[in-house]
Amino acid sequence: MTTSTRHETTAGAAIPLVAAPEPTSRPRRRRSADIGEPRGIPWVYAVLIGGLVLLVGPFLWMLLGSFRPNRELKEVPPAWLPEHPTLDNYRTLFTELDFPTFFLNSVVVAVAITVGNLIFCSMLGYALAKLHFPGKRMIFGLVLGTLMVPGVVTFVPLFVLVSNLGMVNTFPGLIFPFLAGPFGVFLMRQFFQSLPDELIHAARVDGAGEFRIFWSIMLPLCRPALATLGILTFLASWNNFLWPLVVAQSEEKYTLPVALAIYAIGENNSDYGLLMAGSVAIIVPVLIVFLVLQKHFVRGIAMTGIK
Amino acid sequence: MRSFKRAGAVALVAGLALTGCGRDSGSDNAEEAKAVSEGKAKGDITVWALGAEGEKLGEIAKDFEKENPDAKVKVTVIPFDAAHDKIATAIAGGQTPDMTLLGTTWLPEFSATGALDPTPTDVIDEDAFFEGSWSTTVVDGTSFGAPWYTETRQIYYRKDLAEKAGVTPEAGWSWDDLKAFTTGMQEKAGAKWGISLQPGGQGSWQTVMPFAWQKNAELVDGDKFTFNTDPMKEALDFYASFFKDKVSPTDLTPGALETGFINGEIGSFVSGPWHMGILREQGGAGFESKWAVAPMPKEDAGTSFTGGSDWVVFKDSKNRDTAWKFVDFLSQDAQQQKLYELVGSLPAVKSTWESGELSTDPLLKSFGEQLKDAKSAPAVATWEQVAAPLDDAIEQVSLGKADSETALADAEKKANAIGLGG
Amino acid sequence: MATVAATSTAGRSSRRRPDRGRRREVLAGYLFSLPFLALFLVFTIGPVLASFLMSFTDLRSADVRSPLAVGFIGIDNYTKLFSDESFRKAAFNTAYFVVIGVPLTMMLALAVAVALDTGITRFRAFFRVGYYLPVVTSIVAVAVVWRFLLQPDSGLVNTLLGYVGIDGPSWLRSTTWAMPSLIAMSAWRNMGSLVIIFLAGLQVVPKEMHEAAAIDGAGAWARFRHITLPMLRPTLLFGGVVTMIGYLQFFEEPFVMTRGGPLDSTLSTAYYTYNQFGFGNYSYAAAMAYVLFVVIALVTALQFKWLGSKE
Repeated sequence: MTTSTRHETTAGAAIPLVAAPEPTSRPRRRRSADIGEPRGIPWVYAVLIGGLVLLVGPFLWMLLGSFRPNRELKEVPPAWLPEHPTLDNYRTLFTELDFPTFFLNSVVVAVAITVGNLIFCSMLGYALAKLHFPGKRMIFGLVLGTLMVPGVVTFVPLFVLVSNLGMVNTFPGLIFPFLAGPFGVFLMRQFFQSLPDELIHAARVDGAGEFRIFWSIMLPLCRPALATLGILTFLASWNNFLWPLVVAQSEEKYTLPVALAIYAIGENNSDYGLLMAGSVAIIVPVLIVFLVLQKHFVRGIAMTGIK
Repeated sequence: MRSFKRAGAVALVAGLALTGCGRDSGSDNAEEAKAVSEGKAKGDITVWALGAEGEKLGEIAKDFEKENPDAKVKVTVIPFDAAHDKIATAIAGGQTPDMTLLGTTWLPEFSATGALDPTPTDVIDEDAFFEGSWSTTVVDGTSFGAPWYTETRQIYYRKDLAEKAGVTPEAGWSWDDLKAFTTGMQEKAGAKWGISLQPGGQGSWQTVMPFAWQKNAELVDGDKFTFNTDPMKEALDFYASFFKDKVSPTDLTPGALETGFINGEIGSFVSGPWHMGILREQGGAGFESKWAVAPMPKEDAGTSFTGGSDWVVFKDSKNRDTAWKFVDFLSQDAQQQKLYELVGSLPAVKSTWESGELSTDPLLKSFGEQLKDAKSAPAVATWEQVAAPLDDAIEQVSLGKADSETALADAEKKANAIGLGG
Repeated sequence: MATVAATSTAGRSSRRRPDRGRRREVLAGYLFSLPFLALFLVFTIGPVLASFLMSFTDLRSADVRSPLAVGFIGIDNYTKLFSDESFRKAAFNTAYFVVIGVPLTMMLALAVAVALDTGITRFRAFFRVGYYLPVVTSIVAVAVVWRFLLQPDSGLVNTLLGYVGIDGPSWLRSTTWAMPSLIAMSAWRNMGSLVIIFLAGLQVVPKEMHEAAAIDGAGAWARFRHITLPMLRPTLLFGGVVTMIGYLQFFEEPFVMTRGGPLDSTLSTAYYTYNQFGFGNYSYAAAMAYVLFVVIALVTALQFKWLGSKE
């Protein structure tokens, strides 16, 4: 009734795969409502909450700080509650800065890079994990290898390249270098490896084309991995500072982090209030993306009942 | 993995092939400045300005456009922290603007790339600027820009605590006077610390060098760095004595300086003109009367450090003439005055100090006087890198971990290993 | 008895795949790889190759306008590195950071992920967001709060230690304690990313296995060791490799908190490389980066050996 197979993939990671046992063969009857409902353990809650307080601290400080005037923020030790709460920082942020432009630029760039990565990396990750073709090992090695090269060293040559391609101060210049992220390939490949091969074999027997198998069967099983990749990629692109700064030649192409650095940080005197408000404004979209995607951190439905 | 070895081999072969390209044996360093055309400025120029101060440039640029209706100035502001990286990358990628602002300590390094245009003497007059500020534009005898704003360091002190202690700083006071002044505030006026100095760390050389220059120290001799000299040792020992005698703290967090000064824990500190604005903002009403600035003490000289920012024009600029005309415009009294009013930065042009608030306000006047006797770092391309061992030496001696002879000898060795560059 | 028995087969289905299907698979493999590889070769491999070649020259910032007119100096940059005192210190610091930091972060993240997955049922989203917050919080805010925590006299840490009678040191200014402080801060900050990676991996572990084992009398810890961990292997490998790669290049924490001090005790190789770039020593910095790369590659290969291939 159940089969379990150990698959040796080309990269040598062995994953035991198990299909669900059929409940009816068990002597004890279980109602469907009982299945998969662990009870919460109280002490775990307590520990998690304790840890949470520690983690959320700086964020809270930042949030409260955004409502305080610059003067207060420079006090040492940093107080928590605003003495003179003010909306001035946010007012400056949204009126004096060309906020809509910067925000839009950040959105376009981050979304493009994220979507691109989700598609390209899952395609290559799938191919590396499940398809057999010569050169596979070398490709994975190459991709993994570049993940290990410190980014700082390729920065200048990349800029020279982008400049020679005429992509300076353009959206392609901001987006293209990051569309092929080795991190995403690695993540998707590992995840695809843990999915059962039987699904693919069965689909092939049924006459489905390779792309169809990928798109309609395997990819939907990857929701947690895709959500993870989506969040991490979005966050990295959204917060990216140095590259957009260097590629943009005019302020219309600035992204949010760059704009914030300019307006809030002077040579000797910085406006911390504006910096806090800007930082909060920068975080909000990331948190929204996170909240939307995190509900996919749930078990894939197809994990049960494989015949 | 096999794939790496293969890639490595390919790279090496390619590298060997490139040996065809090689370094020329030295290039011509002395450059001739080209003259600028007569008449009004024409065409468009792109200008990079730095940080919050640079934001105000747009307003000043509008006046230039009014005077030169055929010219258009596009200002792009870039953040201060990352400006160095951005300019370096722009030079590498051939994407430089017509002109940009540079921190004074960056200029020699960028001039070494050969990307900067020498200053045309028919448009820019050297004598209009403070000597110390002008020297920041000169590398190997050629000037590559013009100062925009400048700064210098003086001693901020609590007037009320000094009065209570019965000590007063005066122009031309000596090192001993300074020591008595700071310890006096501790012993007789209840200050926890007489002065707050930076105990090593990045940039601490800017606070220590004035004392060395006050003993006529020279940092460079010919093509070698000379850190381990008597004046340097004297200065460093004097500086470290404040820590040793517990007149200055060694452990201050950022931000604690202003708080400590305002609540009377710290009697004095060394800084530039920007702290005037900070103290006014944080001290609130009523604090203004409690503090003042005093000039640097004088031994063989009363020299302080000067920094600021210079304008440079790029050789690749398509509209070099207009760029230099704009630089000239910015160094006229009217524009320098406007810069001070909008941003609070000190003008680098001497004549601007002869009128207005700059000539009447006692605090500003003090800075203006100090600017007449201020020096900057040697104009060598590797200075930023060489300053690091120097900062380390300062840290070692300040924290009592080494004596000045050993520390400075070590720093000198490291500096000369790096060389003057260029 | 448990019907989940592991049997080793040859690894493929016993049916021979027809040639036409095989060719189709190969073609699919290449087509799927194409979009990524095209972009990758141009925008990643190109610059990597260029900078690698650069490390064999004496290119400095003064040469950027004529990059081909530089001297080829072979492995001089590399040999210079090994006699560079600061580099050796940075290398030691980085090793210290990684050896302690990676396991610490992974264990914390795994514990949290498992807790979030099975230990609680309510407010999951709330906890997930909360644990992820340090990752997204601006480094400026993080630095301010951590500096406050670690302040020698009025900081929270030393105050708490004071209650138990310990006189806490000046954390960030001590050559002994600066590094551990930064390790703690990094673990705190980076845990969140690992938590969501592990959470994703945990979804692969079918609940039914746990239930079956529980019915058979296996306790929570045993279940964790024999069911969860093995199934989590690919994810653990991924998490381990990625964290290791990230930590070997740690830069932000010393940059913001201690500037590499005191006295270079928190100087990392990545920070030192960045400094060299700032000084304009491009080729030297490139050599440094590639030495770091070799180390990362070796360590990753080791990790693949441990957590990857079996049988």
